[in-house]
Amino acid sequence: MSATTTVTSDVPDNDSPGFDYFDWFGRYGALVVLALLVTVASAAAPETFPTLDNAINVLNQSALAAIIAMGLTFVLVTGEFDLGIGNAASLAGVAACALMVDAGFGIVAALLSVLVLGAAIGIVNGFIVTFMNVSALVATLGTGTVVIGVNYVISDGTPVALQDPDTFLDITFGRLFGVPYPVYVMVLVAAVLWWLLNRTVLGQAMQAVGGNRVAAELSGIRVDRVRIIAFAVCSMCAGLTGFLLASRTGSATLAAGDPYLLSSFAAAFFGSAVLRDGQFHIVGTLVGVITVSVGFNAIALIGLATYSQYLFQGILLIVGVGVGSLARLRAAA
Amino acid sequence: MNHRPEPGDAPHLPIGAGEEVLRGSLRVEGISKSFGGSRALDDVSLTVRPGSVHALCGANGAGKSTLIKVIAGLEHADTGVIELDGEPVRVANPRHAADLGLGFIHQELNLVPTFSVLRNLAMGSGRTGRWGQLDLRRLSRDAVVVLERLQADISLSAQVDKLSVADRWMVSLARSLMRPARFIAMDEPTASFTDDEAHRLIKVIDELTSTGVGILYVSHRLDEVLSISDEITVFRNGRLVTTLAARETDRAALTTHIVGREVERVVASEQGDPGGTERAVRLRALGLSRSPHVLNASFDVKVGEIVGIAGLVGAGRTELARLLVGADRATAGRMELDGAGYAPRSPHQAIRSGVALVPEERRSQGLVLTGSVEDNLAMAEHGAARRTLRPFSPRRSRRTAEALIERFAIKTRSSRTAVHLLSGGNQQKAVVGKYVRTGPGLLVMDEPTVGVDVGARAEIYRIIGELASDGTSVLVISSDFEELAICHRVLVMRAGRIIAEVPASQFDKDHLTALSFGAPDAEEA
Repeated sequence: MSATTTVTSDVPDNDSPGFDYFDWFGRYGALVVLALLVTVASAAAPETFPTLDNAINVLNQSALAAIIAMGLTFVLVTGEFDLGIGNAASLAGVAACALMVDAGFGIVAALLSVLVLGAAIGIVNGFIVTFMNVSALVATLGTGTVVIGVNYVISDGTPVALQDPDTFLDITFGRLFGVPYPVYVMVLVAAVLWWLLNRTVLGQAMQAVGGNRVAAELSGIRVDRVRIIAFAVCSMCAGLTGFLLASRTGSATLAAGDPYLLSSFAAAFFGSAVLRDGQFHIVGTLVGVITVSVGFNAIALIGLATYSQYLFQGILLIVGVGVGSLARLRAAA
Repeated sequence: MNHRPEPGDAPHLPIGAGEEVLRGSLRVEGISKSFGGSRALDDVSLTVRPGSVHALCGANGAGKSTLIKVIAGLEHADTGVIELDGEPVRVANPRHAADLGLGFIHQELNLVPTFSVLRNLAMGSGRTGRWGQLDLRRLSRDAVVVLERLQADISLSAQVDKLSVADRWMVSLARSLMRPARFIAMDEPTASFTDDEAHRLIKVIDELTSTGVGILYVSHRLDEVLSISDEITVFRNGRLVTTLAARETDRAALTTHIVGREVERVVASEQGDPGGTERAVRLRALGLSRSPHVLNASFDVKVGEIVGIAGLVGAGRTELARLLVGADRATAGRMELDGAGYAPRSPHQAIRSGVALVPEERRSQGLVLTGSVEDNLAMAEHGAARRTLRPFSPRRSRRTAEALIERFAIKTRSSRTAVHLLSGGNQQKAVVGKYVRTGPGLLVMDEPTVGVDVGARAEIYRIIGELASDGTSVLVISSDFEELAICHRVLVMRAGRIIAEVPASQFDKDHLTALSFGAPDAEEA
């Protein structure tokens, strides 16, 4: 007996099933949607849309949403949720401004404080989810609400504004080689998070935990630690987004970051249909955010009413995820 | 067109009155079915005659389950027809299959655990009133008749998750009999039955066939298949190998058909050193306890030794294994590994110390099913890493994975294939491979060959033998006492205690069984 059956399967030679359209569309459908959007917008607004300036503008508008959504992706990869990211972003903005106004912090010190604050929120979330065994949905809803309360305590319910915001505003409006700083921040964060998730043992462990927590645990992966780190990364990104948001106006309001909650989930889920079979990943989330920005940008340039943004975002999410999902179903059949 | 009865006007068939069950054969003709380029069924034709048992045998992934799914309307064949009484039918979906009188008891049983028996029987029974409301009185009347027919002593009000596995299975069978059924397919019914329960099932099958029901029976237990079937069809790699009359074949012939080559049993105790006293002790457990499951367990495992743990389900074997790898903490006792104190507080620490557990349930505990083979093979190595920010090289990981695939003869299209597409045996080899990659000194394997076909089973034994000869100690927990013949020594557990130790030279399956059940005469031996 010689068991020489190895990598090559001994299934009969029908390995070349021809081109599978459904399989292809399942993977690339979301990208097709983006390409279609760009084409349509270019045709509808040929003067304003397909220009380099507008492309940079779109990326700049994507930056903040991308950072927070990529953070959320970490939590989603481990199979958890975080409903508190919008609140964390709001608190980060208010805290950063308050620290600079009331405590005389410099910009760098305020940024570092905000990142630490974000990490702390995430670690608390992680502990509640892992050690108290509370579902992430409930835990982050709870901590998110507490964060709103803390926010009121710090700000007294009124916006916090810097007296002399010029240097702070530079973070948003400054440019290097014609590209605004937030775009660089987005690219840097994307690179670091992509590396963490795809090129470190930690990232591989996160994906294993999301895939099968019991199997991961029995494989020696420190599941609780991995989950807590994911929550921490997520809330840190939310903090960074809140900080950058405050630098747009030099002031922070109570609920400024809240809308990022839904847009992040939409982008991450849309992104799960990009290139992968329903798995969350950094590049997908980035594509998701940019697709939404392209759409919003086109709506503004074409001159459609603002409310169409909601129609667009909702339909995009359903079409992007739905079509990918349907195509995979067909490809499997 | 086939008649599809309306739920309301379904003929009130005399359940339990077998004479009136419709007669006719179920025939599949030239069925082929491919999944994404790999052919699961290739031109399969067979006939199930009324009142007879037709068994399907074959390795995992040979095509048995796919055929059943096609007949059940869960999958649609690419080519071929299904005929009932000589009339071609197109089974659109499971509900349609039920309307045609085809009943299915899948391995998963598909019961709602929190529902009562009656409410489970009500599901899909089609017995509803004009407005779709359940007619519980009539349902319970029917249910009593069906359960009587099965001689099943199960209360209709009992909650299903409180029932034994065998009783749950009976409920699932009863559900398929709530409507007039002419064919029933049973997928691995006895996998978790005791001998008594299996006997009861055989009686039930006799009763069903005597009333003209045709049975399609899938099982890995060849002795059982030989004793209850009229005809046996063997599948291999999606093709029908042969259909035999059960009377005219035997276990050896059947096995040869299933595997396609003669099976060679690897018996480690015949291969080499039976673990002599001069060998160093790898693991020593002293009074290890976690009541009530594990009580005062003391034993040694030597370097390169294969030690079996026999016992009945619930004897505490899995719980003992979990203590060894730190998945649970012992309440008393201690362990030594290679002479040093060993008290793992997590599987992470155990793997770092070189002790790993191949868990009982490979799908729910061993694998990330949606992940690729190479991702799964890398998992334990990630788990053993101390620094979590250690860089990970996909290319290096793939090379290592491919070496393991080659070494363990894991049949997969490529290292990037999703692991759920592999057959059970190959999935199991992937789980073993995952842990072997971390270079364990002691590998604990809980039921390593459950649901694994004959060919892959032999390969797993070969792997165990190789590991042991390389100096890895292996602890094999098994309910299949025959396979414990590969061990140098077998420990027998009963009610949480290790009650006997049987060296390979005195190995005897019946003796182990007697010890496990606690037969009084066995303990003197």
